[in-house]
Amino acid sequence: MSENPTRRDLFATVARGTVLAVLGGGALFLVKKANGQVVWQVDASRCVNSRLGEVGVTACNLCTTECVVALSAVRAVNEYSRCGRCNICPAYFNITSAVNELGQPSEKLCPRDAIARRPIGKVDPEDPANNFYEYIIDEEKCDGCGKCVMQCKEPLGLGSITLRVRYDKCVNCNRCSISKACPQNALMQLPVSQALQPAGVLRPE
Amino acid sequence: MQYRQVQVIDGKGALHGIAVDGHGHGDVYAAGEAEIKVFDATGRLARRWSTSRPAWSVAVAGDGSVYAGELGQIEIFDGAGKLRDTWRDDKLLRRVTAIGFSGDSVLAGDSADRAIRRFDRGGRFLNNIGKDNPLGGLLIPNGVVDFGVDGEGIVFAANPGKHRVERYTPGGQLLGHIGRFDGNDPAGFTGCCNPTNVAIGDAIYTAEKAGPRAKVYDFGGKLLAVIATEPFDANCKNMDIAVDSRGRVYVVETVKLAIFVFERVTA
Amino acid sequence: MSGLSKTGRALAAMVALLVLALGSVPSAPAQAMPYQRPVETAPQQDAIGGGYKTPAVQRAVPRDYWLQVLDVVLLGAAMGISVWLVLKRRSRRWLVALAIGSLAYFGFYREGCICPIGSLQNVVVAIADPRYSIPMVVTATFVLPLAVALFFGRAFCGGVCALGAIQELVVLRPVQVPRRLDRALGLLRYVYLGLAVLFAVKPGLARDFLICRFDPFVGFFRRTGAPHMLLLGGAFLVVGMFVGRPYCRYLCPYGGLLAWCARLARRGVSITPGKELDCGLCAGACPYGAIEEMRAVGRNCLYCARCYATCPQDGELAHAKAELVRLKGAAPV
Repeated sequence: MSENPTRRDLFATVARGTVLAVLGGGALFLVKKANGQVVWQVDASRCVNSRLGEVGVTACNLCTTECVVALSAVRAVNEYSRCGRCNICPAYFNITSAVNELGQPSEKLCPRDAIARRPIGKVDPEDPANNFYEYIIDEEKCDGCGKCVMQCKEPLGLGSITLRVRYDKCVNCNRCSISKACPQNALMQLPVSQALQPAGVLRPE
Repeated sequence: MQYRQVQVIDGKGALHGIAVDGHGHGDVYAAGEAEIKVFDATGRLARRWSTSRPAWSVAVAGDGSVYAGELGQIEIFDGAGKLRDTWRDDKLLRRVTAIGFSGDSVLAGDSADRAIRRFDRGGRFLNNIGKDNPLGGLLIPNGVVDFGVDGEGIVFAANPGKHRVERYTPGGQLLGHIGRFDGNDPAGFTGCCNPTNVAIGDAIYTAEKAGPRAKVYDFGGKLLAVIATEPFDANCKNMDIAVDSRGRVYVVETVKLAIFVFERVTA
Repeated sequence: MSGLSKTGRALAAMVALLVLALGSVPSAPAQAMPYQRPVETAPQQDAIGGGYKTPAVQRAVPRDYWLQVLDVVLLGAAMGISVWLVLKRRSRRWLVALAIGSLAYFGFYREGCICPIGSLQNVVVAIADPRYSIPMVVTATFVLPLAVALFFGRAFCGGVCALGAIQELVVLRPVQVPRRLDRALGLLRYVYLGLAVLFAVKPGLARDFLICRFDPFVGFFRRTGAPHMLLLGGAFLVVGMFVGRPYCRYLCPYGGLLAWCARLARRGVSITPGKELDCGLCAGACPYGAIEEMRAVGRNCLYCARCYATCPQDGELAHAKAELVRLKGAAPV
């Protein structure tokens, strides 16, 4: 190997400098555009499980089956301040099942038993119908199948349960595979702060 | 017992509560967005007048005056629509979704407080009905208090969270209740909170949501008939129901914004 | 580089012309229902009474930003260690250890995401779509390995890239792919690059991230995946036992970019620097066809360090022998 810099070496040095400059300039340009993280979220006004209008259809569980993570990153979330706290909750109970001696349906709706029910407020131990009840969803058990969401929807319920993407589980794919499969295009990308807001009527950017 | 649909009255806009003329003239009074509409026996809109605030319910007194339950007040009109009196009370009449009469009292259902208020004819508050229980009121996740009054002045209030219709004295004492939850038996009330609305005539008439239907029970609580299920859109909620002296049943369809009229077919 | 045959060019052109239009599905409008919004009718805390407090709704937040920055720092550090191990320390053993470490962290712990290979799609979209927001960490992930390649060659490929590491560890009895075929297959990388760019710049929901979608090893990293993708990954690994790092050499689009940068690098893997030898053992040891005329060629060299490790003059064996001789007091061979 010769010690004197050949033309080739010079060319390489210049080219290297140019490419570095391009990379650096490009990086600066992109950094200027950087706007903070964007995440996927479910639009409750499009998701067939929570949008108004369709009654009596089977709950859509594409969020469960399409997510690339082992247990789907989409889970049902109950906005407690909007929950009716009803004795006979159609999302907790399977209201078409036979009525037991307490006057309640005998079967529960969630296939993974992810909803916990307990009486709250001034509890009347004698008459179960005389109490408010709290329904807490255990997110570690929920797989986002949407059955409770569909049952909670108006007019049957008050629509306090919606499907939401959980960011401690979501790997934030460039193109969410649920978003590709969803027939309603209900998955959209939002800035993190917007995505964390309670489910209302979200419009994509 | 069977019922058949005899008429559909186009609501001409928003429809909330309805009331039928106690004298049997066949007029139907309906509360609209911020107005009272009167439909005659043929279903034609005979007159309408606006209210000063959004209206939720309407009732016709024995002397023909029209009481309109609104947001924060009750307005009393004469039969032609001229305003006679206003009862304003921001604490007791926050959202009046039902009005009825028991003897000399005027009853107003306040959904914001989940109770029925009793006033005398002059507008003076007498007592609450339905608040004297551990839950502090009627259980109304649907946001509507509805009740009816029978010939003896007994108040029949719908308590949807408990799936029953409760009987109260005008003084507020609970006498009893009819109805229970059942997701399969038509004699029961399904879902989370039914019946949403109730009317009293010669029997107890109820309206339900989520599997919308109108039913009629006798005063002992036995189901007499399912009046109708098909004509109602599955998304209907809080359908106000009224019954006139001839036994015709009027139900507000809240999606199509029409009043369906049913008549008993003597079986 | 030898010219590509006519059939090869035609094939490449046909592949490039495969346009899969992902038409966006028309969305049904949400209906307006005359309902009271539940927040007005749901019982509030004071109405429920009994000291009840409405529970707070969990808002599951994404991974902390400083952890994402840490990932970039670790990427840079790993490349620095790779450069030092391969160019300075010259130890294949330690390089394998680095590869295992990278596989464990970037592969199985971070589940292979975000990776520089995929980041090129994000960069392309960010340039093409003015509304697209690319986080700074993604830009850094894209730029860092290229910058390192400009000076030291494909340090990223050797021991840092998780996809490379998993293939590196299964190399068993690699065949020497004929040069012409090797270079021809290498063109597929640019076809893939072109397709990836083409699909990444599609607007809105038609946008497709091919590199992410067809990543053969991400199923292993996530420990879950569609059966056909897991099978594909397994097939790559099985082939990888006999053809060294097939994805890296023939398919990786980012590897194509690294190859261009590595051409301009002044430093790189050297075998017996300062000596001209021709036993050819290094060329036989290199599974990736990167030795030409007894010298490692930067653009193909994947920084595996096998060449000088098997060199009788320069490798670890040689150094160990020399050390032994020195200790025994005899004259060096």
